[in-house]
Amino acid sequence: MQIVTVCGLGVGTSLMLKMTIQDILDAEGISADVEAWDAGTVKGRSADLFVVSEDLRSSLEGLDGNVVYIKNITDTDEIREKVLAALR
Amino acid sequence: MLSVFVEIITEPAIVLGLVALIGLVLQRKRFPDVVKGTFKTILGLLILSAGSALIVDNLAPFADMFTEGFNLTGVVPFDEAVIGALIENVSIIARTTSFILALGFAVNVLLARITPFKYIFLTGHMMWILAGALAWAFHDLGVGETNTIIFGSILQGAILVLLPAIAQPIMRKVTGDNKIAYGHLTTIGVVASAYVGKLFGDPEKSSEDIKVPEGLNFFKDTAISVSFVMVLVYLITALFAGPEFVGEFAGEQHYLVFSLLKGLGFAAGVLVLLQGVRMFLGEIVPAFRGIALKVVPGAKPALDVPVLFPYAPNALMLGFIFAVAGTVVGMFASRLIGTVVPVPSIIGAFFTGGVAGIFGNALGGRRGAMISGFVYGLFLSIPVALFFPLYDLAGYGIQGVAFLVSDGIVALSLIKAFFAANIPYIGLGLFVVAMALLSWRFKSKKTHTENPSA
Repeated sequence: MQIVTVCGLGVGTSLMLKMTIQDILDAEGISADVEAWDAGTVKGRSADLFVVSEDLRSSLEGLDGNVVYIKNITDTDEIREKVLAALR
Repeated sequence: MLSVFVEIITEPAIVLGLVALIGLVLQRKRFPDVVKGTFKTILGLLILSAGSALIVDNLAPFADMFTEGFNLTGVVPFDEAVIGALIENVSIIARTTSFILALGFAVNVLLARITPFKYIFLTGHMMWILAGALAWAFHDLGVGETNTIIFGSILQGAILVLLPAIAQPIMRKVTGDNKIAYGHLTTIGVVASAYVGKLFGDPEKSSEDIKVPEGLNFFKDTAISVSFVMVLVYLITALFAGPEFVGEFAGEQHYLVFSLLKGLGFAAGVLVLLQGVRMFLGEIVPAFRGIALKVVPGAKPALDVPVLFPYAPNALMLGFIFAVAGTVVGMFASRLIGTVVPVPSIIGAFFTGGVAGIFGNALGGRRGAMISGFVYGLFLSIPVALFFPLYDLAGYGIQGVAFLVSDGIVALSLIKAFFAANIPYIGLGLFVVAMALLSWRFKSKKTHTENPSA
């Protein structure tokens, strides 16, 4: 399974999201590839799930796959809830 | 055996690949994840160097065009060239450099473990430059081989663990967390410049908030803004240098078309570089948590300049442009000093001037970024000229190049000063005391901030 986290340049927020999601999945015993990506080139890329910070919603409509938008990227509970719900 | 080891630790891609490998193994990741993380780290670094090479390649004619266009000659500040030539010409320096590099890294890890400075310096080429500079300084001052290795390694390890600590308060502001550190021998220069920028700037007015009118929104795209600036800089310089001179580089091409393509090629290099940064950072940061938590609890990797670029691309460009302006002014100032005239280091201005801009923006907003870049440009020229006569490069058969990095210049000048005053051991003692005091202060400050109620 492929999960792609997205932020403006693909190294800051998306990397933090990637590590949080990896920890959540490890705790749940789910195995998946989690990658961090930048908003500029993410269109055209496919994945089972995209996890995107809320502020990029308007510029990232129409991604090829499930998309979850995160309001507060430091809120582990919000991320866990939304990501696990999307995976079920 | 030692030479193989040295070759490995001077190859950043392999060093970071090994770091990722060890980190992933320590975290007991599955085999496929370990392989993937290791290879993607190495490939990311190689893509990054391909981007750097593309940048350097497209900048190559620029320095000459600039010299011609603005009628100036002098030495080219370029550390790798200085150390490379020293090692080539003097076998003792080559030998001690290797030992200082390897043992200095061990000292770095040890100090990270026992002091509050939890930084592991991972910028390979900077480690090599510092090791070479220390070997050169001690050799020049007539210190024997064994003592050079002992004192060199201690200084190397201590400097590598202290530099990231100096930059970390600003790094926290730039990256928004405390996970990576700045590992470069320009730390003193960029940090001092950023604080000057802070004096005159306003941190509320970030360069990254520059409101571009709706129709010009595409300028916020790094690809577009970098292309635009570089094409402009290149074309202006080409006009000053003239068709005849630029024609020598351009060959059959029209000299303005040539300059236009060089400017665009530079931007392409920046994009390649950023892709590499993304790729290796995405693997190394999670992997590093593994090592850090096991061997040195709380350790942070101190990484090379380009990791900062994505955090504030506007500040990067401001820092670059103003650093170039600073080196030009510094060049004229150096002329008055009367030693040598350092030619503007465009590569230095882009990579580390960019950091000065990013740091300046974090402390003093867009005006901070501009002033920080300009002041840092002065650091890239005036100290280079002042330092030049301190150690006799021509005596080693090396001409036309000069030593550039600010931290190396400070360290070597201090060593020279203590030797000149005939008190080298007191110097080393003072250094150890200073380090102990700093770590004590750092520790008490940290406990204080961690318990705000106390």
